[in-house]
Amino acid sequence: MLSKKLEKILNTVQKPGRYTGGELNSVIKNRESVKIRYAFCFPDTYEIGMSHIGMKILYSLVNARSDTWCERVFAPWVDMEERMREAGLPLYALESGDAIAGFDIIGFTLQYELSYTNMLNMLDLAGLPVRSRDRKSLTPLVIAGGPCVCNAEPVCEFVDLFLPGEGEEVTNELIDLLIGYKEKGAGKSEFLRAAAEIEGVYVPSLYDVSYNGDGTVASVTPRGGAPEKVKKRVVRDLDKMFFPESFVVPSIEIVHDRTTAEIFRGCIRGCRFCQAGFIYRPIREKSPEVIDRQCRSICATSGYDEISLSSLSSSDYTRMEELLSLLIPWTDREKTNIALPSLRADNFKKELMDRLTGIRRSSLTFAPEAGTQRLRDAINKNLTEDEILSTARQAFAGGWTSVKLYFMIGLPTETDEDVLGIAGLAQKVVDEFYNNPDKPKGKSVNVSVSVASFVPKPFTPFQWEPQDSIEELLKKQELVRSSVKTRKISLSFHKTNTSRLEAVLARGDRRLADVIETAWRGGCRFDGWDDMFRFDIWEQAFSECSLSMDFYANRRRSFDETLPWEHTDYGIGRSFLERENKKARENAATPNCREKCAGCGANSLNGGECHALFKGLD
Amino acid sequence: MRSLRVWIKKEGRAKYISHLDMNRCFMRAVRRANLNLWYTEGFNPHPYLNFLTPLSLGQESEAEPLDIKVEGDMTDGEIQKRLSAVMPEGITITGVREPVCPASDIAAAEYDVLLEFSDDESASRFAGESRRIVASGVLTAEKQGKKGGRKTVKEVNVCDGILSFEASADGKEVHIKATLAAGNTSSLNSSLLLSALEAKTELSPEYVNIRRLRLLKADGTDFR
Repeated sequence: MLSKKLEKILNTVQKPGRYTGGELNSVIKNRESVKIRYAFCFPDTYEIGMSHIGMKILYSLVNARSDTWCERVFAPWVDMEERMREAGLPLYALESGDAIAGFDIIGFTLQYELSYTNMLNMLDLAGLPVRSRDRKSLTPLVIAGGPCVCNAEPVCEFVDLFLPGEGEEVTNELIDLLIGYKEKGAGKSEFLRAAAEIEGVYVPSLYDVSYNGDGTVASVTPRGGAPEKVKKRVVRDLDKMFFPESFVVPSIEIVHDRTTAEIFRGCIRGCRFCQAGFIYRPIREKSPEVIDRQCRSICATSGYDEISLSSLSSSDYTRMEELLSLLIPWTDREKTNIALPSLRADNFKKELMDRLTGIRRSSLTFAPEAGTQRLRDAINKNLTEDEILSTARQAFAGGWTSVKLYFMIGLPTETDEDVLGIAGLAQKVVDEFYNNPDKPKGKSVNVSVSVASFVPKPFTPFQWEPQDSIEELLKKQELVRSSVKTRKISLSFHKTNTSRLEAVLARGDRRLADVIETAWRGGCRFDGWDDMFRFDIWEQAFSECSLSMDFYANRRRSFDETLPWEHTDYGIGRSFLERENKKARENAATPNCREKCAGCGANSLNGGECHALFKGLD
Repeated sequence: MRSLRVWIKKEGRAKYISHLDMNRCFMRAVRRANLNLWYTEGFNPHPYLNFLTPLSLGQESEAEPLDIKVEGDMTDGEIQKRLSAVMPEGITITGVREPVCPASDIAAAEYDVLLEFSDDESASRFAGESRRIVASGVLTAEKQGKKGGRKTVKEVNVCDGILSFEASADGKEVHIKATLAAGNTSSLNSSLLLSALEAKTELSPEYVNIRRLRLLKADGTDFR
């Protein structure tokens, strides 16, 4: 039952269903009979957080324990925040409606850098100090995981401990440890020292960072027995990994309102700009039988009529044919769609698409990323123009009239010729449509070109590269705009300021904590939302803290520099990244991991095993 | 294929599920319940579901009719049992029966409204003034609508849609029992009536709960 205090507010905000809980399959426990209360916080709106598969997995995993109750918390939208502050209603968990300040663990998932201010705001709304050192007692313990944790430094003043890598195993170990320390009445620092001994736990307060005169990191020194390098955790066998039998089914519409089934982790491609392509290695596949069983269970308990087979590059799954032959008979019968996002243009098979009869023909998306072959080689996007065009040809022959192309500007080694190549390639796709004798009669083609700005990220071969300045990016955007000569091509650009802040936070160090807190106090939140983003407040915060965005975004790092995140170990060797960086300068591509192992080193996390070397059925 | 009318009680947290989201919820619920549904025969086949009287966001209801079409010979009792097992909190299936009346028979709806004011005096003033306003037969309000995709505002006399109205104060609370026009020909949204009364009396409650009790035919008997 909702409190009257909350109900009074709910009648005055947009989409009150975000704040009520009570959805099907949400887990209700007796608060008296559990030892640990866990608030799983997603620092964005309900609709976005509920779409995230990691949250679904960890929610069920923690709730599978009888001694712990895991509940969900999302960032209230600004209208709700205002009303909550007016009414003195602290941030609460959706299942129980209880204020999360009284919980034992407050866990955030950091999926993108632009959600950092939301984390601070949620801690504040909970009534807690945002800085770790100002929260003296053992609980609530504030922890964080997710991809951003590969460089946790900018937010490490706010969080007590981080879980780099995959949370499926380490979460339970951490809860076990906390139960013991809570029962014996231990203090926070005592607990944190013990937690640092668990593999895959990073306790930032146990590391001293010193800086050189030029602002670069001089040294990172562990204390109190904390490891020199914190190794990210990986799950060795996805088939045996915990997977929920049911998902919480939102009562209101969310962004990805469907069953999601992960088919493999990691990526064999090694595109040099792509952080996800490196930090989720090594490659581990799930068996078709296991995926099929999990899909059946989730569909039956949720009632969803769509399954999304998810991975970083779905067509690289070696056992796709086998999987589809298991899924299609029952999904056809039950009128369930199968969606296959993240297909690559080079192995997009017509036969494959033909089998997915239920697929909705809205649009097809390809990501050439760069306009010329030279630059595609430099960024290791192993995709040729012929492959792109032949895929477009197939798609047009199959009745599609709309194609989306994703590009980036500001990539390392980029020249004006590469930028002009974007419109050139898009034009060739348009021409392909009109050259097609079977083109749908009386229909026009629409090629939408989305142009993002390159953001250099940790643990990629481009981690040392400068980002283009705003002026350079705007000039390149203009160049793209002026080179498009047809209305068949529609253009959209990412905001350059947003990309700049993302670049700063992605490769930031501990000194950014002050900036983040200042920006948040100045009113920044929901920075990832264009209509909420206040770059002026961020600029002001940098100047108040006497730090420069250029230092973080636009500076080329030398290979000799100690990077702020190098005491975390994602298995990817530095020598491999340096090698790849040099190859980029030579416009030399690296074969994908299935053709030839490039020696990234990630298999060391998994006892030497990497499924990239599986010989698939194709 | 046969038609069935599912009667739904919606209360508590579930009242914040909008009409469109209710459609989506039930689309999934009927799949979870594993009913043998009749599917539409379009390019994108989907089960036939029709909520006869969309309920405003934030309102509760004792009895919402939902028409569905099923195949096979599963009993109504079995269908009710299966549906009941898969509902989110706050949604209860109170009956599954063959429809008796066509949807066009719906003429009115009975409501129970609870208002809570900041003090006793506001409550008793609101109750008294509302009774007088309704008895006068004139209370204008702006009704927002859509015509050809554009938003329109027209002025209506909400009293035209009030069939009966009682309001009584009890401490800070005001209880209203009202029967309002409903259905396709003319209908009055209870929220519109309340906001018109609030505007006229210049008194606003701190808390409102609106509950639809039942649907009526023109002759005053239950819509079934």
